[in-house]
Amino acid sequence: MTASNEAAVQAPARSERSHRRPVASWREHHGWSASASLRRLGAKPVGSLLTIAVMGLALALPLAFYLLLSNVQSLGDALGRNQVINVFLKTDQVASNAQLLAKQIEQHDGVASVTVKTPQQGMEELSKMQGFSDSLHALDDNPLPYVLEVQPQDGISADTVSHLIDDLRSMQGVDMVQDSGAWRQRLDALLDVGDRAVLILAAMFALAVLLVVGNTVRVDITSRAEEIGVLKLIGASRAFVRRPYLYAGIWYGLFSGLLAVGLALAIELALAEPVARLSQVYEGKLHVGGLPPWLLLAVPVAAAFLGWLGARLVSAWQLRRAA
Amino acid sequence: MIRFDQVSKRYEGGHEALSQLTFEVAKGEMAFVTGHSGAGKSTLLKLLALIERPSHGHISLDGQSLTKIGQGGIPKLRRSLGMVFQDHRLLMDRTVFANVELPLVIGGIAPQERGRRVRAALEKVGLLDYERQLPASLSTGEQQRVGIARAIVAKPSVLIADEPTGNLDPQLAVEIMSLFAEFQQIGTTVLIASHDLPLIKRMKKRVVVLDHGRLVADVAAEEVL
Repeated sequence: MTASNEAAVQAPARSERSHRRPVASWREHHGWSASASLRRLGAKPVGSLLTIAVMGLALALPLAFYLLLSNVQSLGDALGRNQVINVFLKTDQVASNAQLLAKQIEQHDGVASVTVKTPQQGMEELSKMQGFSDSLHALDDNPLPYVLEVQPQDGISADTVSHLIDDLRSMQGVDMVQDSGAWRQRLDALLDVGDRAVLILAAMFALAVLLVVGNTVRVDITSRAEEIGVLKLIGASRAFVRRPYLYAGIWYGLFSGLLAVGLALAIELALAEPVARLSQVYEGKLHVGGLPPWLLLAVPVAAAFLGWLGARLVSAWQLRRAA
Repeated sequence: MIRFDQVSKRYEGGHEALSQLTFEVAKGEMAFVTGHSGAGKSTLLKLLALIERPSHGHISLDGQSLTKIGQGGIPKLRRSLGMVFQDHRLLMDRTVFANVELPLVIGGIAPQERGRRVRAALEKVGLLDYERQLPASLSTGEQQRVGIARAIVAKPSVLIADEPTGNLDPQLAVEIMSLFAEFQQIGTTVLIASHDLPLIKRMKKRVVVLDHGRLVADVAAEEVL
């Protein structure tokens, strides 16, 4: 035995830790626990991968739904966000009547602007549409009425728009009122339902992640009862015994979060080509809404937190039972 | 110094494992606790490691009263003890090095210092070449020596061992006991529970004899025949 080695096992020293900086000691404990828990995951690759896959798929589902919703919203935007109310006047109404009505409507609450469209302008628009040109030439007279395009103010409620439409219908000289923005209202309402559904799904799958991690850690603690006993016998505190399981929860969460993001990006990639073709149909107005960078970062971080939380809740209970 | 003062231990169900036990082991002394099966040897060591609590009486270790230590203080006390078990209690999925390193990791010792101390402990028990092996690949005697290396690596002031040679052949048992004697020579207090009387006589150390939980003889080292 060398002199230095002899010294290393000689001379009882009971409180070496107190001579060292607590932060360094804390860092070493955490470093050891983090790497030990990672090695444990690696020691049973199939089981670990299956757990991570289940959690990753659970987290990917709300992400995929979010991606779908944002693209539907984008599609809606491409088709037109402005809600225009078309007021068709009776065919006996002349230009002066149309101008007078337009002025009256402009004074109405909730109206941003009113544009008068003459029968000639209407005819020109129709003639530009495919398939109408020939049949319009056959007409002797222009049968189209004056149309007032009413643009409601931004952000007004659906109730206000509904009242406006009722008022327009009751005006003298008005034949028909057509709310071209109704489809958009319905779409927005559906998107609101979808948004809420995404939140509920995310909460449910977060709970599933919590339960999966919790159960995995519970099984792990049960299978390592002997090791835990040895650690306690040689002076490990409860926090020391518990720490590798908390790190295991963090690893499970982090890796499943990364897998979920990877899956969501794969879905985004798979949708890119058909959406690009769709965009061409709408003259490039349709932009594919991908997952925002903050979400790509937030998902693994939130999943790691959920993993830690699940492991913390279960390990506290399970180690108390084992004590 | 280890001090037992009128210590009794009665388990749930009424079995009295120790009764009015009073004795001391001086700092740096090596002593054997012996007696037939059920005499109370293991209970005595369990009380010292706070695995069990006494029903009556007072135990102190280096002047510190163990009776007053709460649940939160138990890990700190155990870090000041080196414990060797008959069944080794090694972690079979970790290498010899990792097993011996554990008390130093728990104690927050820096990695470089850990490596130096683990190798010194393994050299002391003659297993330096085995550091990368798993315990399952070692013989029973070698596993026990790993257990001893783990017990001494944190340089405890007190070393306690429960039947450390129970599963070993006589030659290996003498080697293991000689190791304990070496630790005593460098100032460690050593208390060993054993029922191997021939081996105990051969070591010529103090012997405390228990029978049904009572101290029936306390033989000084020089009086051991």
